[in-house]
Amino acid sequence: MTSVGNLQLSSDMASSLLPEMIMLLGLIAIVVIPNLGDAKFRIPLTSVRVPVLLGGSRFDLTNDPRMPNRISNITFAIAFISSLMLISEPSKELGGVLMADGFSRLFSTMFLGALLLVSIATTHRLPAKVNARIPEESDSEAVFDRKISVLINNRRQVDFYILLIMVGLGMSMMAMATNLFMLIVCIELASLSTYVLVAFHKEASSGGEAGAKYFIVGSVASAIGIYGMSLLYLWAGSLDLDILREKWQLMDGVDPFAAFGIGMMLVAFGFKVSAAPFHLAAPDAYSGAASQVSGLLATASKAMGFLALFRVLVMITVPDGSEALWMVTLGIFAILTMTWGNLAALTSENPKRMLAYSSVAHAGYMLAGIAVVGSGITGTNESSIILTAVTFHLVVLVLFKLGAFLVLTLLETEGSGHKMEHLHGLGRRDPLIAGSMFLFVLSLAGVPPLSGFLSKLLMINGIVSSSAGTGISSSEDILSWAESVDPMFWLAGAIVLNSALSLFYYLRVGLVMFFEEPVVDRPLKTAPSLRMAIFVCAILTVLCGIGPVSEWILDLVNGAIDSLMYE
Amino acid sequence: MGENKSEMGLLAYIIPFLAVVPALYVMGWESYEASILIVAVPFMTFPVILIVGQIYNGTEYWKDRLKEGGILALGALGVSLSASLWLVYDYVDALPNFDDQQSITQWLEWVSFDLLQSDYTLTSGSKVLGMGVWVDSITLMILFVATFLCFLICWFSLGYMNTDPINENRNHRFYGEFVLFALGMFGMVLADNFLWLFIFWEVMGLCSYLLIGFYYWKDSAAYASKKAFLTTRVGDVFLMIGLFILYDIYGSLEFSVIFHDPSLGGMVDSNKLFWALLMMFIGAVGKSAQFPLHVWLPDAMEGPTPVSALIHAATMVNAGLYLVARMVPFVDVGHHGVPGLEDLGLIVAYVGGITAFMAAAIAFVQNDIKKVLAYSTMSQLAYIFTGLGSALWFYNNDEHHAAVVVFGASMFHLFNHAMAKGMLFMASGSVIHEMHHAHDHLHQGGHDHDFDPQDMRNMGGLASKMPVTATAMMFGSMSIIGIPLIGGFWSKEGIIAETWLAALEHEPLMFGPAILVLLTAGMTGFYMSRMWFMTFAGEPKSEVVNHVHEETPWIKQPLLILTIVTAFGGFGFALLGATGYLSSAYDYSGHLELHESTLLSSIIAELEHAFLPEKMNLRVVGWITIFLSFIVGPIVAARIHGGNLAEGESSTPFVSWLVSLSSKFGKQDVSDLSQSELSVALQNRLYFDDLYEGILAKTVVPFSEFAAWFDKNVIDGIIKQIESKSVLGSVQVRSITTGSARDYILMATIGMLSIIALIWGINS
Repeated sequence: MTSVGNLQLSSDMASSLLPEMIMLLGLIAIVVIPNLGDAKFRIPLTSVRVPVLLGGSRFDLTNDPRMPNRISNITFAIAFISSLMLISEPSKELGGVLMADGFSRLFSTMFLGALLLVSIATTHRLPAKVNARIPEESDSEAVFDRKISVLINNRRQVDFYILLIMVGLGMSMMAMATNLFMLIVCIELASLSTYVLVAFHKEASSGGEAGAKYFIVGSVASAIGIYGMSLLYLWAGSLDLDILREKWQLMDGVDPFAAFGIGMMLVAFGFKVSAAPFHLAAPDAYSGAASQVSGLLATASKAMGFLALFRVLVMITVPDGSEALWMVTLGIFAILTMTWGNLAALTSENPKRMLAYSSVAHAGYMLAGIAVVGSGITGTNESSIILTAVTFHLVVLVLFKLGAFLVLTLLETEGSGHKMEHLHGLGRRDPLIAGSMFLFVLSLAGVPPLSGFLSKLLMINGIVSSSAGTGISSSEDILSWAESVDPMFWLAGAIVLNSALSLFYYLRVGLVMFFEEPVVDRPLKTAPSLRMAIFVCAILTVLCGIGPVSEWILDLVNGAIDSLMYE
Repeated sequence: MGENKSEMGLLAYIIPFLAVVPALYVMGWESYEASILIVAVPFMTFPVILIVGQIYNGTEYWKDRLKEGGILALGALGVSLSASLWLVYDYVDALPNFDDQQSITQWLEWVSFDLLQSDYTLTSGSKVLGMGVWVDSITLMILFVATFLCFLICWFSLGYMNTDPINENRNHRFYGEFVLFALGMFGMVLADNFLWLFIFWEVMGLCSYLLIGFYYWKDSAAYASKKAFLTTRVGDVFLMIGLFILYDIYGSLEFSVIFHDPSLGGMVDSNKLFWALLMMFIGAVGKSAQFPLHVWLPDAMEGPTPVSALIHAATMVNAGLYLVARMVPFVDVGHHGVPGLEDLGLIVAYVGGITAFMAAAIAFVQNDIKKVLAYSTMSQLAYIFTGLGSALWFYNNDEHHAAVVVFGASMFHLFNHAMAKGMLFMASGSVIHEMHHAHDHLHQGGHDHDFDPQDMRNMGGLASKMPVTATAMMFGSMSIIGIPLIGGFWSKEGIIAETWLAALEHEPLMFGPAILVLLTAGMTGFYMSRMWFMTFAGEPKSEVVNHVHEETPWIKQPLLILTIVTAFGGFGFALLGATGYLSSAYDYSGHLELHESTLLSSIIAELEHAFLPEKMNLRVVGWITIFLSFIVGPIVAARIHGGNLAEGESSTPFVSWLVSLSSKFGKQDVSDLSQSELSVALQNRLYFDDLYEGILAKTVVPFSEFAAWFDKNVIDGIIKQIESKSVLGSVQVRSITTGSARDYILMATIGMLSIIALIWGINS
């Protein structure tokens, strides 16, 4: 704990923390700028009035209700770019609790990319109107309500984007944390903001309820995790990851404090990645929140959980060449999670719930990958491939999972999007959007040549190549081979079977979009920036699956994983 | 005439297309960089034609100015032609040495991680699916033939397709598929590995299917397209198997990897390689319509005539030959080839010999002008197969000189045949088109459905009505027959002579193909002359002929250009040493140049080489060939079908000598001969179609019915079971999600306890 006190800001450190600094500045700007006004301060005892620029009657330019959205977009854009440029910088330790290296920067770039998309999408989901009118007595009830809701939306612009930037700060710092205490604090910073974001549309009953449930279950999970962390501290006397790792290597047998500590932390992170059976609040939260926020939960928030799992499971507790103690547990929970998610998604009539369950299923696939890394049968290369696959999947999820949620956001701007029938005939109403949506679900299903296929291929290949060879190679019949092969092989089998099952509900989206009659037959809203975000996601979904861009990203991820494993 | 002028004015549209390649040259591109345009421009054009055509169908501008996409197609093919001419110009003399020949450029690299290999590195250099350009003399020759003929035949189509009312508002489909086909052919020739060769091969197969079925509402066309697709598919499956075996042997399908050392330092199992090559050869047999997969080609004539000219005479059917030509490095024992593959050469030669003879025999009795040409195509392609078979045999026995000569002659025959046959089909198209036109003119209103504008028994005496077409067809026929000094003579001679050389001096088994191709030479002389005499000489055999005029725009120019190429191209290239040059792909750096100091001495040397070769036995074979094809065949044909034009009709001096000559040999009636059993068998195509249909009905159809039953009941049944069980499971699983936070926390607690129990239970 002492190391936290050593935190000293130097210009060198500041440059490594550039994206976080930018977000801090954005946070200040979003509070200050809309409040700029012509207020003057009279110097006491004189009649000299000095303009203080804060308060008074606001300037038209800065008081524009669209201003917070712009500030947030610009903040995330600059932070995203600066984070992207920092990826290839040499790694640097900051104050003993943070580590800026390729791995952490890759994750914070991904977080910021997701937040940028969410921020852009919110422009139309939470619209700000410049010339809002105050309702009058003579107005009819409908007009009155509409005017009120415009005014409310204008008022709460700042709140939404402040929360969004807080999420960004928490996630981005969390990516760099090398101290468990720092890690938990940053996760909570991000999580608490997301709880509020889920409940943000409090006038809709489902939103408030979802936010409350998500908060309650989440805080229980966090409490369990922090209790586990305190057990670890009891055992090791430190929460620094390196020290924990050394202690773990030297551990003789299994210390109950360490084992229970790790197990309880699994609960907290399992909730974050929505692994069964800790996922139950997730579908409620996803369907209650505004779609772009659900998208954020399904991508960045989930990635945060996996990052924490990487730090705790892979960095601390993977011994060289033998089984990690959580291996079987994680494997069982992986299979449970993917099967549960896919089965539940099968009959979901709400596309948001469907995507939520699909997100659960994807968590299962990735947990399976981590379980195999912990099994001790993988060589360094295979471990690297599997971890690369998991990380690559988390990166490209931002494109197609968030993209799918953005399409639902577009539907939500006209008040629909929470029933499967709202997707009916989308292909006729708006072929480009429907085409993008189809691309997203195909990528979720893992259809080549999309990016979702590439990550699944890498993962299954990593698992199979490390485990299939453990069977008796000379065995004549397939049965004796199947009995002898490492059980980890069957995780790949489970992934494949589950992928087949998942095709049922993914392809159903395409079916209803292109072959059903639309319920309402008018074109979708134009919403230019939201549309642009969707198309960028769609194009990148293809580009990241095949060709030079995908190779570049794979190289990047692979380098990041290497920096994690060999640091 | 004024209308014709405005038609030609449409060519202004293609000027920007033609300017593309010169502009790139000025901008400092290299020809190999521009080579991607050969494929890319058609690739971008074909969807444009199809989509725009679908949207603007029937509008005036699209129909009259853009010719329903024809002008766009012509422009795109113009880009391909100019880019390929540039490539030919740059590389014609700069052939790299075979031993270290590489692809000259790479267009595309697939995701280059080789996870499926064994070394688990994420980004190693080896590429699984690279696409590049391979250039040697064969590539250049076929590329030139393909781009040149595609351009001319597209030009021809502007007249042929767009003036026929039956095609109205459908032509965008024709031109779109035409351009797609063209890119398939170009891509296949340029590909630097067998995989992409196969992919483009299939693109061509698809377009062949689509274009044969262009008149899909006609049952015969729909049937023919299915038949062509399925028959070539049989070959393609074998080709795929061959490629699998090849990949198994070499671990790659790249030419540069395989051809570097096909014997792998003597480690290759020649038996395995033999099977790979044999499977690939079956693919070639299907594509080039050789016995026993020949049945689709005559039916393919159901497609529009430009399609027959391009796909089923000049380009696609050569794909099989190209594939066999690419097998040479495997057998060339002088250059790391694998010994012990003589049988492959024998098989190829026998398939060629049998097909040549059989097709020529069937062509004897055909009355449909396009069917005669179709069988002639089969027969001529079979010549080339025979030549390639001998070449493979010679290469494998290290008879280097003979191998080079016959290989070069085969490739040269491919060139001559493609040019002549492309033109012959266009000329036949011209005849059919004008006959059809005249018939419609004659029977305005009342339609006479029995009249067949393709039947030569309705023609006769057309020489005076269609002088340009008659001249073109005369030179084309002469080239195919191998009349001395014209076109095909220079290449066919070499094939026959070297096959006989193999038979006489080395391998008695070669006598089979040798005798067959020699006989076929005479038969070619007969059926080609018969076709010409029946169409153009004698008196008109129907009233329609008197109303024929040669007036459709866009048709004459390509005929004239190709007449010149056919008449003088053979001799010209022979003087330049085409035979040696074309075999240089696998041999030495041959150049296209005169071999003697002056033109005259070169001519004399070449003539001496052709008529008085050094070896006595070759001299005898050569003279027998000339005697059969030049004297016997045409005179017999003239006796049966020749005759002067009707009173008062005259033709151009180019053909009138031939017409009057044909009447000098007297007249012979063969009507009772045509009732003979053999003739009936030939008219029924030797019953191959019946045989195949019988076999299919007894074997494949019952199996298909069983498969359909199995699919419907067993497979679908299983899937339905899975589906209903999954839905049941789904409902149960979702019932756990009650919506109450208390239950969620309960589940989370159970989860926590089970995690702790599992970890503790397993580890202690």
